Amino acid sequence: MFSFAPYVVKGLWRHGMRTFLTAGGAAVALFVFCFVGAVQEGLERLTSGGDADRTLIVFQENRFCPTSSRLPQDYADTIRKVPGVKDVMPVQVWTNNCRASLDIVVFNGASPAQLRKNRGLMLTAGDWSTFESRHDSALIGANLARRRRLAVGDTFSIGDLSTQVAGVFESPVAAEENLAYTSLEFLQYTRGLDAAGLVTMHEAYLDENADPDTVAKAIDETLAAGPVATTTRRKGAFQASTLSDLVDLIGFAHWLGYACVGLVLTLVATTTVMAVQDRVKEHAVLQTIGVRPGRVFRLVVSESLLICLAGGVVGTLVALAVLAWGGLAVGAEGVTIAFQPSVSLGLTGIVIAALTGLLAGIIPAWHASRTNIVLALNQA
Amino acid sequence: MALAEIRALTKSFKKGGETVVPLDGVDLDIEKGDFISMMGPSGTGKSTLLNAVAGIDRPDSGTITVGGTEVTKLSRSKLADWRAEHLGYIFQTHNLVPVLTAYENIELPTLLVSMSKAERRERVELALEAVSLTDRADHYPRQLSGGQEQRVGIARAIVMNPTLVVGDEPTGSLDAATSVQIQELLVRLNEELGMTILMVTHDAEVANLATRRLRLEGGKLIELNGRAANTGNGRKAITAG
Repeated sequence: MFSFAPYVVKGLWRHGMRTFLTAGGAAVALFVFCFVGAVQEGLERLTSGGDADRTLIVFQENRFCPTSSRLPQDYADTIRKVPGVKDVMPVQVWTNNCRASLDIVVFNGASPAQLRKNRGLMLTAGDWSTFESRHDSALIGANLARRRRLAVGDTFSIGDLSTQVAGVFESPVAAEENLAYTSLEFLQYTRGLDAAGLVTMHEAYLDENADPDTVAKAIDETLAAGPVATTTRRKGAFQASTLSDLVDLIGFAHWLGYACVGLVLTLVATTTVMAVQDRVKEHAVLQTIGVRPGRVFRLVVSESLLICLAGGVVGTLVALAVLAWGGLAVGAEGVTIAFQPSVSLGLTGIVIAALTGLLAGIIPAWHASRTNIVLALNQA
Repeated sequence: MALAEIRALTKSFKKGGETVVPLDGVDLDIEKGDFISMMGPSGTGKSTLLNAVAGIDRPDSGTITVGGTEVTKLSRSKLADWRAEHLGYIFQTHNLVPVLTAYENIELPTLLVSMSKAERRERVELALEAVSLTDRADHYPRQLSGGQEQRVGIARAIVMNPTLVVGDEPTGSLDAATSVQIQELLVRLNEELGMTILMVTHDAEVANLATRRLRLEGGKLIELNGRAANTGNGRKAITAG
C-alpha cells in the first residue's frame, strides 16, 4: 500500500519551494481557524455548563458596566432568604477597561472564605493563608499571570490599585483564569471607587433542585422594594448579554474560520493542479509500466493530503502553543473570554486539514488518472 | 500458437477534416524469441500499432492476443495489471522519473506485483547487471548520460522479465556512438536472455539488427528479410486486407 510512498515524498521534495509555500499557506490558515475556534470555544464554555447555569448574577437593573452597577452589600442577607438560594457572595468588580480589549484586567473583590468555598480555585503557587491574612494581596488567574508575567510576591499595579500577588490559581472555568481576586474590603476602599457598603453584584448559588429562572424572578421581586432595583439572570445569560457586542463579532468570525478552510482548499488544489500539469507525461509513463489509474489517483491525492496535513498540523500546533502560552483573552464590561487550547480543537484542526487535502486533490487526481496515455506521452 | 497474435487490427482518426487510416486490417504473428523491427514513413501508424500491442491505445476493431490474453478486451485497470506483468516498454526518450534513482526507477514495475523484498532486489540487480549499470544504481537521471539513461529505461522495461518488450524508436534520441551501445544491448537481450522484442525505428541500421523486419505502408504490414535470413531481396506481405 505504501510502496510508492518514496515516490510521493520525493516528488514533493523536488518542488520544495512550492511545497513549502503551499504548506505554509495551509499552516497560516489553520492557525487562524484554530484561533477563531478557540474564541468560539471560550465563549461556549463561558455561557454554558454547570457554573453558567447554576449560578445567578444579581446586577443593578439596566446597568451593564461593572462601574455603574452599585448594589447594597446587605442585599446578600435578603437574597440568602429566597427559597432555592444556598449561598450568596457579594462581589465588587473593578476593571481597567470597560470596553472590548485584548488585555483586560478584571479584579473581583470577595470574601476569601467564600471564594475558597464557592469558586473551586486550585492554587498552583502561593497559599491561601497569605491571601486571607494580608489585606492588599491578590490571587491571580494563571492566564493573567502568564500574560502579565506575574509570580507570587510581585507587586501588581493598575491605576490607583496596587496589590501583591499571594497566589496563582487555575480554575475549572477557563475564563476565571483571567481574573484577579482580592478581598472585598480592599476593592471597596480603593481610591476613586468609594464603594463602602456597596458591591457591583451578588452571586447567588442555588440548591440542587432549585429552578434558576424561578429563583431569579423571586430575587428581583423581593428586592423590588429596596433602594436599588435589580436584574437577576443565570451567570451564562448574564455574561452572554454583557458580551453581546463581542458575541456578534465572534459569531461573524466563525465565517472567517470557514473562509480559511476555503482558502486552504483553493491553495492546495491550485498547487496540486500545477503539479499534475507538470507531470502529465510522468503519470502516463507510470501507467504505461503498469500503474493502475486508481493508483495514480491515490498518488496525486496523497500529495495534496500530505501538503495540507503537514501545513495543517504545524498551523494547529503553533496555534495551540500560542493559545497555551500567550494567556490571551478578550473581554468587555468586566467579563472575559479565555482563548484556551483544547484537544478537540487540535483534532478538529487536523481533521479539517486532512479533509481539505483530500478534497483539494480529487479533481486533479481524477484528471491525472484519466489521462490519455498516448497523447500524454507525445507531449514535449 | 504464436506468442502474440494480431488480427484484423484497424485504427482510424480524423485529421484536418479527413479520416486517416494508419492501420487497415493488420495481421501479425509474433513468435517467442522474435526480434522484430518495424519501419515506415512518418505518420504511417508504426507507433499506433506498437501502442495498441502495448495496450495503451485502443484499436477501432480487431484483436490482439498476447500470451493467451486478449488484451483488446481488458478494462483500463486490467490492462495496467497486464502491462505490469507481461509488457516492457522502451521509450524513445527514456522517460525516467527524475526524483528517483536509477535503482528506484528500475524497481518501480516490481512494486506493482506481489513479491518479497529479496526477490525485488535480486530482479533489480539483475536488470542493472544486464544493462551494465550496477555502479550507477544510486545515481539520479540528471547524473547520468543520455545513453545511461536509456539503459536504465531498458532495465526498467525488462526487470519483470516480460512476455513482450516493445520499443518506440529506442535509439531515436541518441548520438551515433551511444546508439550502437543500445543496439548491441537490444541484440544481447534477444539472443542471450531470449526476450521477444517489437521495435519501431526510422534507422535502417537499427532495423537490420532484428530477426524480422517489417514495413508499415498504407495501413498494411509488409515483411522484409531480417538478420537471421539476410538474403536481401525478399518482401512478403503479411497483412490481410
